[in-house]
Amino acid sequence: MEDEEMEKKVQQYLQRKGFRLTELALQEERNRLSTSSLSDVALARSENDPARYYDGYSKLRTWAYSSLDQYKHELLRVLYPAYIHCFMDLVAEGHTQEARSFFHTFREDHELMHSRDLQKLEGILSPLHLEEMELAQSLRQNKFRIKLCEYSYELLLQYLQKTQALVVLGIINEHITFEVSPGQSSLISDDSDVVALIGTSKDLAKQINQKDVHWGLLEDSVEERMEKALSDSDKTEAEGKDADAEDNKKRSSEGGKQGGSHKKVKKDKLVGATGKNMKSETSMVSVAPRVKPELTLPVMPVEVEQSILEDLRNRAQLNNLSLPSVSFYTFLNTHNGLNCSSISHDGSLVVGGFSDSSVKVWDMSKIGQPPKTSSSQGENGPSQGERVSTSDEGRKSYTLFQGHSGPVYSATFSPFGDFLLSSSSDSTIRLWSTKLNANLVCYKGHNYPVWDVQFSPVGHYFASASHDRTARIWSMDKIQPLRIMAGHLSDVDCVQWHVNCNYIATGSSDKTVRLWDVKTGECIRMFIGHRSMVLSLAMSPDGRYMASGDEDGTIMMWDLSSGRCVSPLVGHSSCVWSLAYSCEGALLASGSADCTVKLWDVASSTKALKMDETKGGSTNRLRMLKALPTKSTPVYTLRFSRRNLLFAAGALSLGS
Amino acid sequence: MSIVPKETIEVIAQSVGIANLPADVSAALAPDVEYRLREIMQEAIKCMRHAKRTVLIADDVDSALSLRNVEPVYGFASGDPLRFKRAVGHKDLFYIDDREVDFKEIIEAPLPKAPLDTAVVAHWLAIEGVQPAIPENPPFDAIVAPTENKRTEHVKDDGLPVDIKLPVKHVLSRELQMYFDKIAELTMSRSETSVFKEALVSLSRDSGLHPLVPYFSYFVADEVTRSLSDLPVLFALMRVVQSLLHNPHIHIEPYLHQLMPPMITCIVAKRLGHRLSDNHWELRDFCANLVASVCRRFGHVYHNLQTRLTKTLIHAFLDPQKSLTQHYGAVQGISALGPSAIRLLLLPNLQTYMQLLEPELQLEKQKNEMKRKEAWRVYGALLCAAGKCLYDRLKLFPNLLSPSTRPLLRSSRKVVTTNPNKRKPSTDLSASQPPLKKMATDGAMNSLASTPMAGNMPGTMDGFSTQLPNPSMMQASSSGQLVESTTSGVIRRDQGNIHTQRVSTVLRLAWKEDQNAGHLLSSLYEVFGEAIFSFVQPPEISFFL
Repeated sequence: MEDEEMEKKVQQYLQRKGFRLTELALQEERNRLSTSSLSDVALARSENDPARYYDGYSKLRTWAYSSLDQYKHELLRVLYPAYIHCFMDLVAEGHTQEARSFFHTFREDHELMHSRDLQKLEGILSPLHLEEMELAQSLRQNKFRIKLCEYSYELLLQYLQKTQALVVLGIINEHITFEVSPGQSSLISDDSDVVALIGTSKDLAKQINQKDVHWGLLEDSVEERMEKALSDSDKTEAEGKDADAEDNKKRSSEGGKQGGSHKKVKKDKLVGATGKNMKSETSMVSVAPRVKPELTLPVMPVEVEQSILEDLRNRAQLNNLSLPSVSFYTFLNTHNGLNCSSISHDGSLVVGGFSDSSVKVWDMSKIGQPPKTSSSQGENGPSQGERVSTSDEGRKSYTLFQGHSGPVYSATFSPFGDFLLSSSSDSTIRLWSTKLNANLVCYKGHNYPVWDVQFSPVGHYFASASHDRTARIWSMDKIQPLRIMAGHLSDVDCVQWHVNCNYIATGSSDKTVRLWDVKTGECIRMFIGHRSMVLSLAMSPDGRYMASGDEDGTIMMWDLSSGRCVSPLVGHSSCVWSLAYSCEGALLASGSADCTVKLWDVASSTKALKMDETKGGSTNRLRMLKALPTKSTPVYTLRFSRRNLLFAAGALSLGS
Repeated sequence: MSIVPKETIEVIAQSVGIANLPADVSAALAPDVEYRLREIMQEAIKCMRHAKRTVLIADDVDSALSLRNVEPVYGFASGDPLRFKRAVGHKDLFYIDDREVDFKEIIEAPLPKAPLDTAVVAHWLAIEGVQPAIPENPPFDAIVAPTENKRTEHVKDDGLPVDIKLPVKHVLSRELQMYFDKIAELTMSRSETSVFKEALVSLSRDSGLHPLVPYFSYFVADEVTRSLSDLPVLFALMRVVQSLLHNPHIHIEPYLHQLMPPMITCIVAKRLGHRLSDNHWELRDFCANLVASVCRRFGHVYHNLQTRLTKTLIHAFLDPQKSLTQHYGAVQGISALGPSAIRLLLLPNLQTYMQLLEPELQLEKQKNEMKRKEAWRVYGALLCAAGKCLYDRLKLFPNLLSPSTRPLLRSSRKVVTTNPNKRKPSTDLSASQPPLKKMATDGAMNSLASTPMAGNMPGTMDGFSTQLPNPSMMQASSSGQLVESTTSGVIRRDQGNIHTQRVSTVLRLAWKEDQNAGHLLSSLYEVFGEAIFSFVQPPEISFFL
């Protein structure tokens, strides 16, 4: 203020006196000063200017879009990490307004591939949120891995050097690792490798996936004994013919023993030879190497074993030409209250878990019979705090189990159908006896809703998955968990046992599937590739493959030993609630919210994959054999019985 | 910046008792509120997924809140969708319409019906990979697409599976073949039996018949052309078509193009049945209704269905070379399509057609008894159609019968009555004329015929009395006074109305789109005389008169 006045006075004075030159000099000097101060300001601003992110990114974007067609798709991959980190940098610096407008300007580019992440990131408005949100955290801490061919990498470097794009360069240095592969640009198909890598650095996943997985089947299982009996009988029938097969048999069992003793996976080459002339019904099982159980397994009662053997003898053989029969259990009048359903292994019992905390069990073998079951009512013991009522008197067709104090999210039958487990949002798991119709144990350990619970294939042990981001292993006789599997970055949504009981797989909202060693509690595989939360898991009966279904309707099949995706199964348009392999592993059935059961040909596509590995040809997608639409009934659960009859269940939802 | 504006925070602060929240506080809170909201929604979506739903409901938000140790928001638990109302005077302000509930009402209300208990039913979704056609399964989409029809897999040397598509071969199960044969046999030979009725019921209910539809439509088309002279068979075939159309499980639209021609044939064929006594009229009526129902159901999907149909019908109607039976069918067909079809297609041509028809109706001109009978049939159908149209107009615009139409009516009536010489009614026609729908000969009217015919047509009396020996004829011309008797439905025999130049001008005016019902009535009156009044509701006619 004073300066200005003084200057004015000086100027007036000079004018009055007629010192024109001096006046001009003064003016010039003043101009120079002001511009220099201005440019100082500009410089200072550019260092802290929110617009530089905008400029930097939009320049990179236009450059990437106008690059050579052949390399464009590779270069475009760089945009997403740059975009996300520009946005988060802006937020971190506190330019909320600018972050917002930046986010919205370029959102459309990434909407297609990353809509779910964008939805989550959209909410970030302050540096505080950045620290709090798990997704943002993992994005900040970990690096994207982007595969580029040599030439595109060079192009990118040239661009960054030429344009002095410091902002983008910084982001790329900080958050992206390039995996430069020599030769031509790769196909677009492996895009998923690039974009899904969040929540973990590549090294970690790689390191984890290097560990051994003994995916073989259990020694001395019922199936194996069955097979032996079969081959014995075959031998007596046609000795000469089967000599070769028997020989193979011996070798394979030898191989199994070897695998078991050395605890090392052995992909024996005799597999193919054995498979061909063995009965295909059993070949799938016999092929797999044998491993020793790491848990002490419960002893199977003789009569149960007999019935299983009977079932195995009567098993229908399924493959891509002979499809299974599907029996569908429809829940009526659920009033939107059915949260989960499960079917026992023989299909005779169906359980429904409801949002009103109740668990109801239907005995399907009794349905359709006249309600004369009053005699069984006498068995009802006195009901305790946890009430169970077989309400035959009210001619109700089901048994009601009450005890939970929150919506029941999962229920599962033990392999022989005598026990039932249910998990609820009250963070407990309850064990019920279907023989006594009573609650036996309440397992408390989780701190948040338990989303899923699954019995192990041999019973006795079970695994649970919870909102508290852990999965836990329990045994029926202990109220404390045996193992706690921690590592997922978000809710663990589903859990599934490996056939040999040595591993469990968990699917999570962090879009990964992990495989855990039951004995050590360590994560030994990480499967990255899903684009949304994983809702269902299934293990192939030969123990080699795993299928996982997600919210978008994509199903992925994984090879456990390599940790790689065998092939994605695209076909469902909505959440895949349930997956099931047929007993010999030739078919995969999937049940979805789009009201269909789909049957996929697994056997031929894994074969095709083996061809791929050797040839390096184009990837063959798994084939869908059949889509079975239901009448507006989303399919909640699927189960192949031991005789290969497929059971499915769902709640009729009209008008939704 | 955030989707929650500062103002909202201020409003919320006020509502919890903080009167003056500093601006910077609300500005800082707003983004955090948005973040928390998103967090809760994320949890709610998780809960929704685990409840195996794809639609978010209030319960999910409640569970998400309890996950975060926040008290749930009570009061939104009902399953109904929330009804938001726009606040008056504010564009973007909505609130939930929450009525005040009177406890007394609730207590006194009768108990609602208990909701049905949950139940489980089992059915076969597939048997060895094939979905059985039972009501529990969704209906098939037409015939299975050729690509999915049958696949065989040939494993080549390299082990890669190859799909080879066989030529499409429609495989019909043995049961369905037997079913088809049985139905065909019943239709052709035993359509009178009760078994056939059962068969029709089965055709209209069974859900597994879809594979047979192409066979049935071919069967119908084929048999109709072959047995045009066999009326019972035609009737049976049309009944089969009707049952197929009624079947909710059949997707019949792709076969309509095959089914329509036989149906239309049964409406406008020259001869149906081989004997004169055959009641082919009934068949024509039946088919007309059937076709109309098809139009109503598929008109919007099968866009040129109705135009093609009406073109066929109007051709049949307007061709003077065609026989009267064909004309009858065409009239019935159009009239079944509804009042607007009548108004647009029949009424404009009514005038000219009546000129054609008139000679056929009269004993003097048409000596052939059969022909005359047919002409009367056509006349009756036309009358019915016109009446239906009029009835509809009147129902639509009850107040159109304003007093202002009266002079016009009067004048037109004068037109009628001042040219009595052209009337050529014949009394014995009444005997030969079969009773028309909605009209019954009413002997009582004779007594009313003597009512004075004074008023506006005094000059006509003489002409009528000389030419019309039957008193009912006089009554016909003096309709103005015979309110009650006309509404009771009387056969009118003054059909042979005069068609002077003047009348046609009146008509032309009247057929315009914006005509009012009064005009319509008067012009129809021109054509049909009082018979048309039987289609007017009593209160209206009294007003009108």
